[in-house]
Amino acid sequence: MNHSFPALSLAGVTRKLSGRVIVSDLNLDLQRGEVLGLLGINGAGKSTTLRMIAGMLAPSSGSVMLEGLDLYANPERARRDIGYLPEEPPLYGELTVEEYLRFCARLHGITRAAINAAVEIAIERCELGEMRKRLTSLLSKGFRQRVGLAQAIVHEPALIVLDEPASGLDPIQALRLRELIRTLSQDHAVVLSTHVLSDVLACCDRVAILHQGHLRHSAVLAELDTGSALRVRIERDVGEDAWMQMPMVASAQVIDSRRWRIALHDDASAGDLARSINEAGFGLLELRADNNVLEDTFVRIAGETATIEVAA
Amino acid sequence: MSTIGLLASNDFKRQFAQPFAWILLGLTCALFAWQFLIALDAYLRIAPKLAAVANSQGATDLVAIPLLRSLSGLLMLIVPLATMQSLAGERRAHTLPLLLAAGIGNLRIVLGKFLGAYVLVALIVLIALCMPLMLEFGTTLDLGRLAAATLGLLLFAGSLTAIGIACSAWTAHPALAAAAALIIGSLLAMIDMGARYQGVDNSLINWLSLSTHLEPFYYGLVASIDIVYFLLVTTLALLFAARRLDSLRTRG
Repeated sequence: MNHSFPALSLAGVTRKLSGRVIVSDLNLDLQRGEVLGLLGINGAGKSTTLRMIAGMLAPSSGSVMLEGLDLYANPERARRDIGYLPEEPPLYGELTVEEYLRFCARLHGITRAAINAAVEIAIERCELGEMRKRLTSLLSKGFRQRVGLAQAIVHEPALIVLDEPASGLDPIQALRLRELIRTLSQDHAVVLSTHVLSDVLACCDRVAILHQGHLRHSAVLAELDTGSALRVRIERDVGEDAWMQMPMVASAQVIDSRRWRIALHDDASAGDLARSINEAGFGLLELRADNNVLEDTFVRIAGETATIEVAA
Repeated sequence: MSTIGLLASNDFKRQFAQPFAWILLGLTCALFAWQFLIALDAYLRIAPKLAAVANSQGATDLVAIPLLRSLSGLLMLIVPLATMQSLAGERRAHTLPLLLAAGIGNLRIVLGKFLGAYVLVALIVLIALCMPLMLEFGTTLDLGRLAAATLGLLLFAGSLTAIGIACSAWTAHPALAAAAALIIGSLLAMIDMGARYQGVDNSLINWLSLSTHLEPFYYGLVASIDIVYFLLVTTLALLFAARRLDSLRTRG
């Protein structure tokens, strides 16, 4: 394993299907120990991107590098360092959990002597001990997802690729899954796709927002959370000019007609803003710290389609 | 165990974890046993008369070879059923990504699938062969000729299996894969029928037919041209299947 290269590097990756551009000029780097969340609405190109990263689908142009190796020039070697959980867990219903994981371990090149230990670790990590002798076709959705995850990690890959891993899980199962992903990220690079913001906030270090096949936003979550904007909800429809007339307001960004993100000058306080809003008669309904810029960024980017469609 | 062997053993194990393979095996054996008993009964009726004729045909000609010949017709129906789930089933059950993302190469996946299905088909051939072989306890069989016929049937079954795998790679619908394999197999077996009716038996179209190359084995003739033909059909069909998997990667 070469640690001088990023665990994953996408350079100018484009993918066309039936003449339509699904993913366009995607550039991304990911280090071992990081969790990258690919965020986007349905049809944004998340699954196609993950399929290219997993070696399932060749890019039309650009390169996918794994630890400095071109995935499609060195498919056999590079792909053994990838664990992939597709949107639908690829389970053989005729096999028990243990039989299935043993098959997956051997499929990924684990030596016969190391199979038992590898399977035991995967079962333990994914908390599948009670289910090990059960046929995978008889498992609940949550356990099916866990077995899918276990097959993705059984060979200790450098990169784990998870497509909508929390899809269909109940809140408790989703919480456990997030904890597991955080644990896995200590030793692996993880890429996951989701359209659930809370999944990204709970277990990702970085986020990349895809929209209509384009990378529209990429950020480190810790840096996003340090913002000091305020979120304001008011009764009246007002314009940006009305906000900018207030001396303490540095910038005003509309979320919808009655919700705004307001950034203040350094010497101003939230109390000053509340007083000004009341004096202006905006009808203050809510004023709180906005430490989650991500949601608004996502909603703004995702909303562009609707705006364009309405305009057209 | 190599990756090909791993895939083959996994498929074989999964086939027998379902009732389908057992039912297929059981019904085929029952049907073949019924044919065997009818052929044996007919042979036993005429055996005293045959004993009086010099150089008359024996149990090999009158029981074993006709049975194996009928098995080749049965295989054309059975093999598409044995192969239809192979890759089409994987696509339908969303398990193909596991294989495609495992870095084992398209050709190895196809070879593993071929071997997994072929073991079941070969098992059917060998179980069926046991019935005429039992006659050896009561009479003398031409074992060399039986061996040649078995080799021919195994090569024929290999070609049909490869065609089945190619059809299974072509579509995600197992029933459609079975239908396509049945039609292509039948077409290849009967492609020279018109030519033969017109008395032509040495043209290219005769050469293309599976039956043309299988028939000599029943007479105990093992010709390299026939072996090469079956290997060629098998190889081309498997390459087509691998190419199809490749196009799934490149064209989505």
